[in-house]
Amino acid sequence: MEAIHTDFTGYEGQYVAIDWRTGEIVLADEDPRVVLEQAKGRNHVVVHGRVPYADEPLYVGLG
Amino acid sequence: MAEEHPHPWLYAYREDTQSTRLGGRVLRPFVPVSLAYGEESTGQLVGLVDTGADAILASDLLTEQLEIDLDENEGETSHAVGGRVVTARYKTVILRLHSSDAETGDYREWQAQVGFIEGWHSDGLVLLGSVGFLDRFTVTASRFAQAIAVESRDAFDERFGAVFSV
Repeated sequence: MEAIHTDFTGYEGQYVAIDWRTGEIVLADEDPRVVLEQAKGRNHVVVHGRVPYADEPLYVGLG
Repeated sequence: MAEEHPHPWLYAYREDTQSTRLGGRVLRPFVPVSLAYGEESTGQLVGLVDTGADAILASDLLTEQLEIDLDENEGETSHAVGGRVVTARYKTVILRLHSSDAETGDYREWQAQVGFIEGWHSDGLVLLGSVGFLDRFTVTASRFAQAIAVESRDAFDERFGAVFSV
């Protein structure tokens, strides 16, 4: 099985949701409430969270 | 529809929003989950399977969609997350693990306490730890195979024998 890749370039600082089948970003907004609300009830759409800027530290797990 | 598609459910590793480590992509064991409380529910959210975490943790933003009043919580615990201390306020909700086959719409649901955290650094993510998730399923993760398998919780004992008797 191959990992699903997503190109987050250009979405830094925004919250995104992806198409679970392809990894493609289908929703993005600076307000997480907007993404959470728009993703609700949409098939295959999964909220992925915030895209950090390149100079933000890499989390270990979520810690 | 719940409980139709048999386990195991296989999920490919997925790229994290955090771009790289030493120039390489960061892949993590994510699964699609949603939360429900009363008549309300969230959309599907990325859940990170984390064997090092003891609990299920999530953003308190989700309680807005679920219409949960966290002042009526079931307890609070402080956690060290990302170099800072956060407070998780716990509430029992319904969790749904959605099938890896997005076409079926199949899911498993169960009740568990979720610790909701204010200012969660990646709203939308749910951290799936030991109590509430890994005690519900047998999860096998392979970074080599770039996939995780989720099976019934009895699968471990069936494969390896009962290690501990309760």
